Amino acid sequence: MTIEHHPDEATLAAHAAGVLDLGQRVALATHLRGCPRCREWARAMEGLGGEIVDNCSPASMPDDALDRTLARLDEPAPARRLRPVEAADAPRELPDFVRRYAFGGWRFVAPRVKMRPIHLPAPGPTRVFLLKSAPNSRLLQHAHTALEMTCVLRGGFSHEGGHYGPGDFDLGDETVMHEPHVDDGEDCICLVAMQGDLRLKGFWGLIARPFVRL
Amino acid sequence: MPVDKPSRASRDPWAERIVSIASRQDRSAFAELFNHFAPRVKAFMRRNGASDSQAEEIAQEAMLAVWRKAQLFDPAAAGAATWIFTIARNLRIDAIRRESRGGAIRVEEVEAEYELDETPGADERIAAGQSEARLREALSTLPREQLKVIEMSFFEEKAHSEIAETLRIPLGTVKSRARLAMKRLRALLELDR
Repeated sequence: MTIEHHPDEATLAAHAAGVLDLGQRVALATHLRGCPRCREWARAMEGLGGEIVDNCSPASMPDDALDRTLARLDEPAPARRLRPVEAADAPRELPDFVRRYAFGGWRFVAPRVKMRPIHLPAPGPTRVFLLKSAPNSRLLQHAHTALEMTCVLRGGFSHEGGHYGPGDFDLGDETVMHEPHVDDGEDCICLVAMQGDLRLKGFWGLIARPFVRL
Repeated sequence: MPVDKPSRASRDPWAERIVSIASRQDRSAFAELFNHFAPRVKAFMRRNGASDSQAEEIAQEAMLAVWRKAQLFDPAAAGAATWIFTIARNLRIDAIRRESRGGAIRVEEVEAEYELDETPGADERIAAGQSEARLREALSTLPREQLKVIEMSFFEEKAHSEIAETLRIPLGTVKSRARLAMKRLRALLELDR
């Protein structure tokens, strides 16, 4: 699997800095899981975070802060508890922490297109869902009212930006009009992290609007 | 398994101290780490919009986590400051979530969001350690004003317009500095992207 489309450096830096919201972090983690090159850059950005902390001019801590912390060193550490995997059938290409979230059922979006919501434990401005499109289908030409991150899990699609296969990452925003064409042969399953709503263009957009519930 | 790499640890005296906490519960090493890092983590959190008491709490919790997780620290893969930064970052994300949701979320969930499922192999860990060493070199050659823009836009979450206002430079300059800095870092890190 060769990954050709990556998040840009700035997005990876924002991820490492911890300033993306949870939905976007889900998309970044999904890409990083399969992409050693981006992992290296993200780690370098954590290193930058370390340098920044190390170079901060120290703020004053209360006089007893060290003693109070020393007094707590022998307290037993709280046990690490993670929620169990909720959806046993969640795609294995997703990071473990995402597979532990609650998944909704598949819903009709448009002919040959279905979506399955992923319920984040801390709702924020970005919604996350799986999008499944039948082979050879053509998605409606659309733009976004805000950021949309797409990670291909299985299958693939093409649009003006090139071909996207498993592991690839696509970023859409209000400046990009897309009309993705799904590869022949198998369903294309993507993880999508979306802010705002889709804006569909043209006649088909008007027709489809009542059906599209993304 | 933590691997003690003396060559690296000797360049990073703080890493050595974390290793001695892991190997023999060294309280004086902890006190030294605390005195160096707690005030810096607090300052960093203040800059990122935490209140004085929140910043102080994160600094103390981060240091407590350093003590508890010292066994997990891998000096070959990351420097002490980097490791402490990631701990503090996760605590901050957790604190912000608690504020908006009440105590239902726990910091291990944030940690899990940054953990990769497969434990990185030796190659990847060593590559990470090397790229961090290169990063330090790269940062020392990066013009200060470029670094400042990177820091403000990613680590302080400031909009480009806000940075322009704070630094009193035109918006276009902010954008070009951010772009140049990223390009330069990428080249200096020899990351083929």
